[in-house]
Amino acid sequence: MIEIQNVSKRYGSVRALENVSLRMEGSGVLGLLGQNGAGKTTLINILTGYLAPTSGRALLDGHDPLMEPAEAKRRLGYLPEQPPLYDEMTVREYLRFVAALKGVTSRAIGAHVDEVMELTGLTSMRNRLLGHLSKGFRQRAGMAQALCGDPDVLVLDEPTVGLDPRQITEIRALIHTLGRDHTILFSSHILSEVQQLCDHVVILDHGQVKLDASLAQLSAPEDVTVLLTVDAPEAAILGRLKQLEGVRRATVQPCAQSGRTSVQLQFHREMEPERRLFALLSGMNIPILHLSRVGDSLEQVFLNVISQ
Amino acid sequence: MATIFKRDFLAYFRTPVGYVFMGVFLTLSGLIFYLYNLQNLSGDLLTFLSQLTLLVMLLSPLLTMRLICEDRQKRTDQLVFTSPAGLGSVVLAKYLAAACVMLVTVLLTNIYTLVIALGGTVYAGEWFVGYTGFLLQSLSFLALDLFVTCFAKNQMTGALAAFGANFVLWMADLLANSLTIGWLADALNFLSLYDRYEPFRLGQFSYAAALFFLTFIAACLVCATRVLDARRFSEGGAA
Repeated sequence: MIEIQNVSKRYGSVRALENVSLRMEGSGVLGLLGQNGAGKTTLINILTGYLAPTSGRALLDGHDPLMEPAEAKRRLGYLPEQPPLYDEMTVREYLRFVAALKGVTSRAIGAHVDEVMELTGLTSMRNRLLGHLSKGFRQRAGMAQALCGDPDVLVLDEPTVGLDPRQITEIRALIHTLGRDHTILFSSHILSEVQQLCDHVVILDHGQVKLDASLAQLSAPEDVTVLLTVDAPEAAILGRLKQLEGVRRATVQPCAQSGRTSVQLQFHREMEPERRLFALLSGMNIPILHLSRVGDSLEQVFLNVISQ
Repeated sequence: MATIFKRDFLAYFRTPVGYVFMGVFLTLSGLIFYLYNLQNLSGDLLTFLSQLTLLVMLLSPLLTMRLICEDRQKRTDQLVFTSPAGLGSVVLAKYLAAACVMLVTVLLTNIYTLVIALGGTVYAGEWFVGYTGFLLQSLSFLALDLFVTCFAKNQMTGALAAFGANFVLWMADLLANSLTIGWLADALNFLSLYDRYEPFRLGQFSYAAALFFLTFIAACLVCATRVLDARRFSEGGAA
């Protein structure tokens, strides 16, 4: 379980986080989104006990990493933005070191490290020096160290950065699999990745939680958006569209050809936008060139949230 | 703690740092031995050891500069400080790793003791007192350097700051003699590692000085732990 209770963090006069609270129980993947400087890494550092909050507290399975470091951190696997690797060690030596650090008994270390290397696709690199690995394999080694000690909670700060497309797919598959029996907090700039992997999304902006919702909630919004292109000038059509029953917002979109108009219309879900638009435009004898629903993607949600 | 100690100790010999430290220390101490003992046909082990203090002062920052600063630079501190190991045990393990390299290096200077023994007499008591005092002083410099490097953001500034601190402490008694402010002179005299080493240099085992060195080491390590802990509250990372 991950719990963050009213956490604030200030660096001098700069507010990095302001009363941030979130909670995730049981297994699953929580996606942490935000622009650069939104406070994602600070929040992760506080959750892992690397940083102390100015006020509030973070809990890992009910244990505060500052007050009960051994109890809390035993449950934690952390992959920072830059994998914490010792370049002079081989992959195997490094993972044995991390496993011992996490309290795996010396008798079990060999088998445990082999298992983690197998899971992250590092077996063929086991005797390579970490300093000689490509960026992709360094990221995998970082992922492998987070899995050492079989922690219940995994905190992954942009785990697919620098990987090639095949490696990205493999790491995503691994996170998806791990999400079945681990609590994973996962930060990323890649919105499609969050949409693909996460059960729950938190958007941070200027150190504050702007959205905390399950992906199921996001995929069934109150409003639907349609994109309409008609063979008529803007002046002739925009006013009528805005007056149409059920339209909440009409935004003119750029249109390459003169005399035509593209408009993005936000309707209430139950207002059957296609039927109403057809009735209006056929009555006005205006040809419809394009009419489609725009999926309320996470990207749109994200942009809406941070522009508010 | 043993895990971190083992990694940090072996890291000295997986990188050039350990070899450079031992190589330079043994070469220069060999030179001092040649110039002072062999050329003068002297079997004075205690004076020879006291002359090695300058080497320790110059070279101990080489051992400590990587312990905290390298971790901070390479962000491997995020692994260590988010592991179940407590901050105090991390600092102690890192110190012991550096102390072991120092211990091995200092014990290797016994090659010169052997040379003296071949051409003269080495008294066991004198050997014990001389080496105990010298080791305690060396380990104190090492603890001070570890503490000082906790304030630095990279290895170079860490090493320079540690060297500066060694020099100030070494000069403390000289400074004290030139000061007219009584309490400051007393404080500097109290902290002078050179002064505390004096009985050992004269062949006398001083329990008071030995206790001072051990307390000094413990105080430096506790302060280093507190500095790293405080950094979690004040800025962007534990180390």
